[in-house]
Amino acid sequence: MPYDAQDDLSDEALLARYASGDAAAARILTLRLTPRVFGHAMRLLGNHAEAEDVTQDALIRLWRIAPDWREGEAKVTTWLYRVVANLCTDRLRRRPSVDLDAVPEVEDGAVGAAEGMQQQARADALQAALMQLPDRQREAVVLRHIEGLGNPEIAAIMEISPRAVESLTARGKRALTEILAGRKDELGYTDD
Amino acid sequence: MTDHGMDELQSFFDAAKAQAAEPSADLLARVQADALALQPVRSAVVTERAPGILRQLFAAVGGWPAVTGLTAATVLGVWLGAVQPAGLSDSLSTALYGDGTLTVDPQSSFDFVLLEG
Repeated sequence: MPYDAQDDLSDEALLARYASGDAAAARILTLRLTPRVFGHAMRLLGNHAEAEDVTQDALIRLWRIAPDWREGEAKVTTWLYRVVANLCTDRLRRRPSVDLDAVPEVEDGAVGAAEGMQQQARADALQAALMQLPDRQREAVVLRHIEGLGNPEIAAIMEISPRAVESLTARGKRALTEILAGRKDELGYTDD
Repeated sequence: MTDHGMDELQSFFDAAKAQAAEPSADLLARVQADALALQPVRSAVVTERAPGILRQLFAAVGGWPAVTGLTAATVLGVWLGAVQPAGLSDSLSTALYGDGTLTVDPQSSFDFVLLEG
């Protein structure tokens, strides 16, 4: 099948093609999944180098499981989000305490800067605030409000009930609001 | 949480989505290299045909080693038949039949049987 035609296939169908030896499927899956996996690992870890390691590790696990993947049983992304979360949790547990180097700092010049810089400052501030949440709250908030997944899928990823997902996201958002409230002026809330 | 608080938080989520970290070209290259290195080999389509009579016969006599021996023996036989080397012919005759005289005397055996009764 031509390279372009495979772009429309689902992740699961591409994985089946990958398992049958289709090199084009390997390239498409790499380009499609790496940004999602890396972005998620970045938000859970807040550290570029560690997020890269987790991304490579998670995808190696996917390549290895591909021949045994049973189509229709689970979504590839659901499985990947779960693997990424587990790998990130392992790394976070090994950290002695809050890794201050991993928490992005807001640049001094961000106050009153151009809109692009303000966006960056807000993204950095949110990342710093996320890193202060308990692991499970952070995972639920990121999946719901940044990755944009629905509660049933998040429940499947985290292996909890949808009601527990709601509880985690509500507590996470409340904590984020409190953390970010202290930086209101600095981040230009009132400019909205 | 108030609606206003949620709206403010939403602006942070929007900013995070817009500023998503992109994987480096190096990471993409590493991931793709892993994918290709761990990819199962494409399974070849093999069409198996039933073996023909000659192939079955070939297998039945013992394959190439047996066929080689049979061929050598056949060639030697044809060569001996065609050339009939004199030395080989004489020595074979001597070995098989002695010095060349073969005496058959059925009568003497018969007499012996008569005497014995």
